[in-house]
Amino acid sequence: MARMAMAQEKVFALRREIARIEGTLPERLAMPATAGGEAPVLRHYGRPEAVSSAVVKTGVLPLDAALGGGLMRAALTEIAGRETRDSGIVSGFALALAAIVSRNGSGEPSARPILWVCLADVLAEAGFPYLPGLEQFFGVVPGKLFLARARRLEDALWTAEEAARLGGFSATVLELRGNPARLDLTATRRLHHRAREAGRPVFLVRHSAAPEPTAAPTRFLASPAPSPLRETLAGPLPRSIGPPAFTVTLSKSRTGRNGTFVLDWNPHDLAFQERRPFGERGSVQESGRRVQDSGDLVAASFHGPDPAPAARGGLASAQEKRRTG
Amino acid sequence: MGIADARAMYPGIEVVESDHVSDRRLLESIADWCDRFTPLVAIDGDDGLFLDISGCAHLFGGEEAMLNEIVRRLTQQGFDARAALASTPGMAWAAARYSRGPDRIVPAGGEERSLAPMPLAALRLQAKTRAGLESVGLRHVGALLGAPRAPLARRFGSTLITRLDQALGFAEEVISPRLPVPPLSVERQLAEPIGTTENIEQLILLLARTLKQDLERRGEGARRLLLSLFRVDGAVTRIMVGTSRPLREPLMITKLFHERLTAVESRLDAGYGFDLVRLSVSVTAPFTTAQMDLAEDTLEEEEEFALLADRIRARLGDNAILVPTLAESHLPERRVSFAPFGKETPSQKTAMPQPQVPAKIRPIRLLEKPEPVEASAEVPEGPPLTFRWRRAVYRVARAEGPERIAPEWWREDKPRLTRDYFRVEDMDGRRYWLYREGLYGEETAPRWFLHGIFP
Repeated sequence: MARMAMAQEKVFALRREIARIEGTLPERLAMPATAGGEAPVLRHYGRPEAVSSAVVKTGVLPLDAALGGGLMRAALTEIAGRETRDSGIVSGFALALAAIVSRNGSGEPSARPILWVCLADVLAEAGFPYLPGLEQFFGVVPGKLFLARARRLEDALWTAEEAARLGGFSATVLELRGNPARLDLTATRRLHHRAREAGRPVFLVRHSAAPEPTAAPTRFLASPAPSPLRETLAGPLPRSIGPPAFTVTLSKSRTGRNGTFVLDWNPHDLAFQERRPFGERGSVQESGRRVQDSGDLVAASFHGPDPAPAARGGLASAQEKRRTG
Repeated sequence: MGIADARAMYPGIEVVESDHVSDRRLLESIADWCDRFTPLVAIDGDDGLFLDISGCAHLFGGEEAMLNEIVRRLTQQGFDARAALASTPGMAWAAARYSRGPDRIVPAGGEERSLAPMPLAALRLQAKTRAGLESVGLRHVGALLGAPRAPLARRFGSTLITRLDQALGFAEEVISPRLPVPPLSVERQLAEPIGTTENIEQLILLLARTLKQDLERRGEGARRLLLSLFRVDGAVTRIMVGTSRPLREPLMITKLFHERLTAVESRLDAGYGFDLVRLSVSVTAPFTTAQMDLAEDTLEEEEEFALLADRIRARLGDNAILVPTLAESHLPERRVSFAPFGKETPSQKTAMPQPQVPAKIRPIRLLEKPEPVEASAEVPEGPPLTFRWRRAVYRVARAEGPERIAPEWWREDKPRLTRDYFRVEDMDGRRYWLYREGLYGEETAPRWFLHGIFP
């Protein structure tokens, strides 16, 4: 115990020293003085970051808690996959996060396009982005997706950096395979800084990548999860394939909390929902805001009378808008 | 004369096999170099160049000074060049080959006097015509000038008269320049050659500022820019940059060339430096000055994006940025096409009425080419039970389908096979789009392919 305390003391001393050299206050997590003290306040170079604007709630409470309030909007977020054959899952999760982060205050999808930067070998291995599917699952309409294809990693990094600096994109996705030596701490730190300055997210999507240190403050490991069953009027349809599902391991976050979540994606509302065993369903209520149940999932109650969910304006109108807009 | 005869006469003679391709390349590189004097350079035959110096001579201190300068610099490079200057290409051709000294410059109107003593070869005639003329005793151009034209034309063909008229300036002769003449061009001659990329970029900025005034006067912007770097030893490097919208801002132009120069840096050999840098606009487009919207910044953003796209294209190549567009087709691979940025046609989706049926679920990634898989199904027409893709075996937990997609017979010459698509999910939860091509009971057995990947 004493040893740990000493080690911590040393770390703090070093941090202070670094801060002194840089002429700023050290970055630290401080508990706010107000009651509760649930959400940590992140201080960046001495200035407390406004959590509400800097982060976007994913809608999954435990995930938001582990992320320190939500996903950072102006940051580099790394999404890794173990194998290239999971490319649909990994890029799908990145696009889901992009869809959530790029929503503006009123929940509407952003009018800005997405720039998808990838190396040519990724396209050959994992396939080209396919617009009809992207529209169905993530609301990416034609004209809002640009694909930048680079032959070399340097070019891809350069393109992503320039795009991140521009701020004209709702998100920049950089897609790579494996663990290239050039994608080191310096390269990722540059990306992160650009993202932070422009206030736009950059997603680093890495297929078949072994974990290695990068400057991204958040890192997810996305792996497949069996999808929920398709919901019909007569109950879940056996052996059917429902909306997308992801097994997501948060392996690095600002708060230091990690965890594994099984998330179902609701393509209509562009929102996540955490999957729980049937018994736990009711307990979500007490923890406050709950993700809208679009009716895509298995009904909460099997045996008792289940009042039909009230028709929600959001579902139909959002889709209508997307279609016409 | 054979080599043996030549050797007998001059034992020390050096015999080199003629290499037309190399000669041509050399002539072209000299023509490139001559671009520094005038943009209108044409190659003539195997050994000649036409330079149209209308309006250029004063830049080099007059006609004579310019002629001397060209010959001097070519001599310095190790070429034995003969040059002449005249009002017509035909006269200049003749003077370059058959005149010496001050006669090399033929003043306008002095063609007849200069041509008269020259042999018939000066008229660029075919050997047969020339032999025919010589056989009747006409050995000099002067003899033709005085002769009646009609009998000449009747006997020796109209080419003779045309050549004569072209040399004398009675008939127009156009030379065909090798390169299209840019509408706008600015250049800077340098006393001290430059070699570093930074210097070149500074110079581009200077030139672009000059260019901007010209573009503003014309109410145009540049759609394509060409940078010509003339190396001291005669090599010319040309660097092209395209823009997706009319551009005239010097800083933006410099930025575009910065990316291009970074991309070609390894191939750009500065050698002893460049002593002439020319920036020309090869394609222009009307420049519309748009009113800025105070509330929205979309216009600016669009412009910013266009500039970024141009820079990416300058660095990574013209097809680096792709825009997926939708086409009217129900074949998955035809539904989406990728067009290079700036050349895309808008998606046809808006033009077509929406179908009333809900859209079929489509993958988010589509393999460029469907990859064959080995699949086994429970029943012949049913979904696969297991399949092997890229050396890994997948056990299908759940499957949806089939969705039958028939080939587009109205487009194909060779009939393609019908496809039955299945959405499958394996035991771990990976979701793929597989199809079985062909029908049972036909000549060829159906085959399985993996086409797309779902999230």
